[in-house]
Amino acid sequence: MPALSEAVPLRGTAKSKGPLSLTPGQLGWFAFIGLCLLIGLVAAYQVLSRGLVVTNLSDGVPWGLWITIDLSAIALGAGAFTLSAVVYLFGLKAFQPIVRLAVYVGFIGYTTALLTLVMDIGRPDRFWHPWVYWNVHSVLWEITWCITIYLTILMIEFAPVLAELPLFARWPVLRRVAHGLHRAAPYLALVGLLISLLHQSSLGATYGVLRSRPIWFKPSMPIMFIVSAIAVGPALTMGAAIVIQWVTGRRAVPPELLRTIARFSGLGLLAYLYIKLWDLAAVSYYGRTPASDRALFVLNEQTPYGFGFWVGEILLGLVVPAFLFLSPRFRRQPLALFVGSALATAGIVIHRWNVTVSGLVVPQAYSPGSLISTTAQAYSPSLAEWGIALGVIGYALLMFTLGVRFLPLFDTKAAAKESG
Amino acid sequence: MSRKVRTRRRVKVELTRRDFLTMAGAAAGSVVASQALTTGPLSPFASLRQRQVEGDGDTAAPRGGPHWGMVINLDRCIGCEYCLRACTATNDVEAARPWNIVVRDETSAGRSFFFSRPCLHCQHAPCVEVCPVGATFVRGDGLVVMDYDRCIGCRYCEVACPYDVRKFNWEARHDENPYVPTWGTPEVARRPRGVVEKCTFCIHRIDAGLANGLTPGDDPEATPACVNVCPVAARVFGDLNDPDSKISQTIAANPTLRLREELGTEPSVYYIPPKEGL
Repeated sequence: MPALSEAVPLRGTAKSKGPLSLTPGQLGWFAFIGLCLLIGLVAAYQVLSRGLVVTNLSDGVPWGLWITIDLSAIALGAGAFTLSAVVYLFGLKAFQPIVRLAVYVGFIGYTTALLTLVMDIGRPDRFWHPWVYWNVHSVLWEITWCITIYLTILMIEFAPVLAELPLFARWPVLRRVAHGLHRAAPYLALVGLLISLLHQSSLGATYGVLRSRPIWFKPSMPIMFIVSAIAVGPALTMGAAIVIQWVTGRRAVPPELLRTIARFSGLGLLAYLYIKLWDLAAVSYYGRTPASDRALFVLNEQTPYGFGFWVGEILLGLVVPAFLFLSPRFRRQPLALFVGSALATAGIVIHRWNVTVSGLVVPQAYSPGSLISTTAQAYSPSLAEWGIALGVIGYALLMFTLGVRFLPLFDTKAAAKESG
Repeated sequence: MSRKVRTRRRVKVELTRRDFLTMAGAAAGSVVASQALTTGPLSPFASLRQRQVEGDGDTAAPRGGPHWGMVINLDRCIGCEYCLRACTATNDVEAARPWNIVVRDETSAGRSFFFSRPCLHCQHAPCVEVCPVGATFVRGDGLVVMDYDRCIGCRYCEVACPYDVRKFNWEARHDENPYVPTWGTPEVARRPRGVVEKCTFCIHRIDAGLANGLTPGDDPEATPACVNVCPVAARVFGDLNDPDSKISQTIAANPTLRLREELGTEPSVYYIPPKEGL
């Protein structure tokens, strides 16, 4: 999440006496989160009382900022399934210290996406319809199911951590159940891996299957979505771990582990870069159609799409973080890893935004004549849309802060005892 | 120690055999289960497929019956927008965002013509494929219909439609319809906030007309409002499956095209291009 950098004022939590004594920095931080949530609530009231007319969305551009947040939050939660699979399926126990954090960040990402989604659909009261009324041909139906199942898996995976809270000490039954759940971790990791591979790529397919939109309609969409999620999800978890270490002053995750994740993520970013450039070549030369040519022309002439692609996605979102993650000199510096993580995260958000908006602002040509409209449609998010965005970011930051403060996210001793 | 290892190995072999049998059993079981679940009468998939093909209960005709379609003669259209107005009045559509659009276009030779577009009622409709709740589907008589009670307002169908046919209800409507009563009176209720709507081919007229023994396309009471009102008879409506219907004969006698045919959506609306070509 982009605003994680602002978690720095929390520095000194470890020195505070009790859970309720706050330093001025913490007070300011909570005030900031509270303000975000307040703005979000006001915006949510607007949306729910007046309808989606308060957005700048239209019949021409029906999806925008909120869909970008959904896609980004889910992609950034991919650290959970990647690192769980690494530990529980591939048996690389060295990654154990960071799994809980990864699962927690994943949980925050998925709930953030669901919150935004509920705002985005026209009938929030019918959010349950995909579970009852099935259209098995719909990518979106499959994604809804996968996200539901995966969120359940995340909660089961995280239940043992919650059960360790002193609050639950007086019910030993809970701890026994939680311990049993922990033993199911490999199976949960396996199902989580399958479900995640499915829906993370399906999010790309949401666009890729639409034959009506020439610049979306390509088989590389799902692959770019899944590869970018696998590359950046763990990087975000790593960045979060670094921030937590700065704030609490506690070395919970071994530095070598962070460097290993950085290397993994760096290689993932290179793979993503390779696919992206190859996709660009394919779209520009081998797979070009009159319609995709026209769409790209409109985008390059009338929108900052080219700048966003080359500078936002490729340079800042891919090349720089890959360099920071892979260069032995920078990899040793937590600051460099944090900057790389933040840039890669921003790169993901910019990519999801570019994909969503670029495909929609190009007008469709269906009239049989020669007067084809070549004016890109306008879309920039309204205040209410930004308000909801701030609100869900505030939610994510609040969950993260509370988790860092109250949850045993790094209790490696207990983890070692359970696995031993 | 070596003995211990051997025992363990033997145990392992036994386990593997049992595993193999278990796995074979599980595989056979899942094949049976998946068959039952996907094709059996108990399967939710089967009921879904049936509903998508045959339509919604008693109102729908089975496949093999009529297939309602429309011909729009671009050579005749004078761009008067009567179809737009009659449609907007009859279906009580928001005037600023009509279901049935009329725009000026040009042939490659530079001659003006007018292009109008209702919903094309595709037989392989992208909107139907993407709807996560099956709120829109192709009925047995070819109509692509909306279930406003099921729609969750995700607008994926709007994104998927190749012809910009679909409109979303961004707010609860309080607008006055400027075409009522001059161009007709509303025959259907306004759609609620938060659901997607689109041209229905005046489905309420077709269904009521058929129930009363009328023929859509011939009897005005059973024919879409835009077709009835057209002063130059640029629009023809009827059963594409009936070779003797007016629409089938019009298609047989004229060159026709369908919009973005390369997408394979199989629209039910055919266009007769201007005489000197496009």
